[in-house]
Amino acid sequence: MVPGSLADTGAAPVLLDAEPATDLLIRLEKIHVSYELADGACKKVLDGIDLDIRRGEFVSVIGRTGCGKSTLLRLVLGAERPTEGRVLADGREVVRPDRDRGYVPQKYSLFPDKTVIDNITFGPEVEEFSLLTRFTPLFYRRRKEFRAEAMRQLRRMGLHGSDAKKYPDQLSGGMQQRVAIAQALVMKPKILLMDEAFSALDPGTRTGMQKLIRQVWRETNTTVLFVTHNIAEAIQLGTRVVVLAKDGAESSGSKVALDLRVPDRAEEFAEIAERVEAATGHSHLDEEE
Amino acid sequence: MSVLSISVRPNRMTCWVLSWFLFAAGICLYLYTAQKRHKENPDDRVVPTLAQLGAGIYQAAMNPDADEEPAADSAGQSALERFRNGMLWKDTVASARRFLYGLALLFPAVLLGLHMGIFPYFGVFFLRFILFFDKIIALSVLPILFIAFGIDELSKVMLIVIGVTPTIILDTFNLTKSVPPEQVVKGFTLGARDFDVAYRVVLKQIWPRVLNSIRLNLKPLMLFLFAGEMIASTDGLAYRIALLRRHMGMNIIIPYVLWVALLLFLVDLTMRLLNKRLHPWFREA
Repeated sequence: MVPGSLADTGAAPVLLDAEPATDLLIRLEKIHVSYELADGACKKVLDGIDLDIRRGEFVSVIGRTGCGKSTLLRLVLGAERPTEGRVLADGREVVRPDRDRGYVPQKYSLFPDKTVIDNITFGPEVEEFSLLTRFTPLFYRRRKEFRAEAMRQLRRMGLHGSDAKKYPDQLSGGMQQRVAIAQALVMKPKILLMDEAFSALDPGTRTGMQKLIRQVWRETNTTVLFVTHNIAEAIQLGTRVVVLAKDGAESSGSKVALDLRVPDRAEEFAEIAERVEAATGHSHLDEEE
Repeated sequence: MSVLSISVRPNRMTCWVLSWFLFAAGICLYLYTAQKRHKENPDDRVVPTLAQLGAGIYQAAMNPDADEEPAADSAGQSALERFRNGMLWKDTVASARRFLYGLALLFPAVLLGLHMGIFPYFGVFFLRFILFFDKIIALSVLPILFIAFGIDELSKVMLIVIGVTPTIILDTFNLTKSVPPEQVVKGFTLGARDFDVAYRVVLKQIWPRVLNSIRLNLKPLMLFLFAGEMIASTDGLAYRIALLRRHMGMNIIIPYVLWVALLLFLVDLTMRLLNKRLHPWFREA
């Protein structure tokens, strides 16, 4: 038996109460993902994942390194296709990334060749104007509106107007992620997918970013799928925590080991953290801090 | 501190002196050799003296090609007019025209490399063929080119195509592949379509590196151009050098060689400065 596996911890998946189907935004049905290795062997990553995400939820996905958290996020994003099963977004099968699903990765979250303001206006501009129509008078009129909206988003993220003309490499890691969130939110996506978005930040900046994303989630009511390997972060941010873990040999794929709602009361966090810790096999509450 | 120390930082003056030292040494060595040879043989034409070089430069810059009919009013021409009728200027214009044709042909190559890197079907269709094409030694097919396309401009331009474009295509392909996949996915999530991602996300990011690649390939481009001109041409810088070789005209060959190097250096410098100015975000590795 593999230490830290579901069977080892004895934690049983907690089923969520049934909610109205109309609230359902993302559905993962019997998802299996496996890769063929160079030696011809098959490596299972995800093994029969069933997961529903409802509108307005803030879902934190947590698990050990290599358990398939990012793969799960990329499936929802449409950047990867499952070997078996299907991913549905608003009832339609996800086949490729589109504007309904915003994306904030850990690295390369901004276009390096564009200034902050151009990064944020990129989405609205590219959506409304093709390569040819962007040289029309209408484009320049609309561009002013896009820029005004981008500046609003920038201030909302706590950045200054003077940052608008900077290039990404002139910003700190935290500022870059703020811009990346603004860039995604300006498209008003149905779900915001964040892949270890704060992992590269120092603890102080990370706390600030956690507060910010929680505030943005409250204000916009955007559904968030947040992948992290930090248990404290997952519990503090999420309204729901999903733990991915292998339930058998190391060669098997990950399953949903735990799926539970996070209560509002902070007193219960420690108890939840213990359960998450047990399910993931983490030896500390937060191995980073 | 030892000059072989990694952590040593030479001061400004030392840097200046050291960076010009080899130039000065080369000039001194040349002058010494010229003087020595002329002492032994006053009619030596292999290493011309400074005075002979000066006369050669004047002749090349201000006199037309000896094979040309002299202009009727050549005596009354201004210095500028004489320069513009001189063989140096005419040869430079002829070579520059071919050089620009070659350079222009690199841009479709960049687009092909970009599409091969972005669109899998393009990549699959072209990659193997371009990899093979890249291994063909351009000069080895020169006779075939002359037979197939004649000895006029087209064969010289084709020589450049065969010699340089595969490298540019493969370089652009690799640069395209090096763009993080997150950036492509990000583009799609922001509402971009396939061609938007290709041109507004990927091409814009790789463009400064592509320009660098073109810059580094300027010399091969000139090499193939010179090969074509030396073998089959009636004008151009390389034609002149090949022609003067028969007459041992080192007093003109050497200035021509330095002139070509200077021109190439200026083109390279211009491209480098333009790249820096147009892409302030770009940091060279």
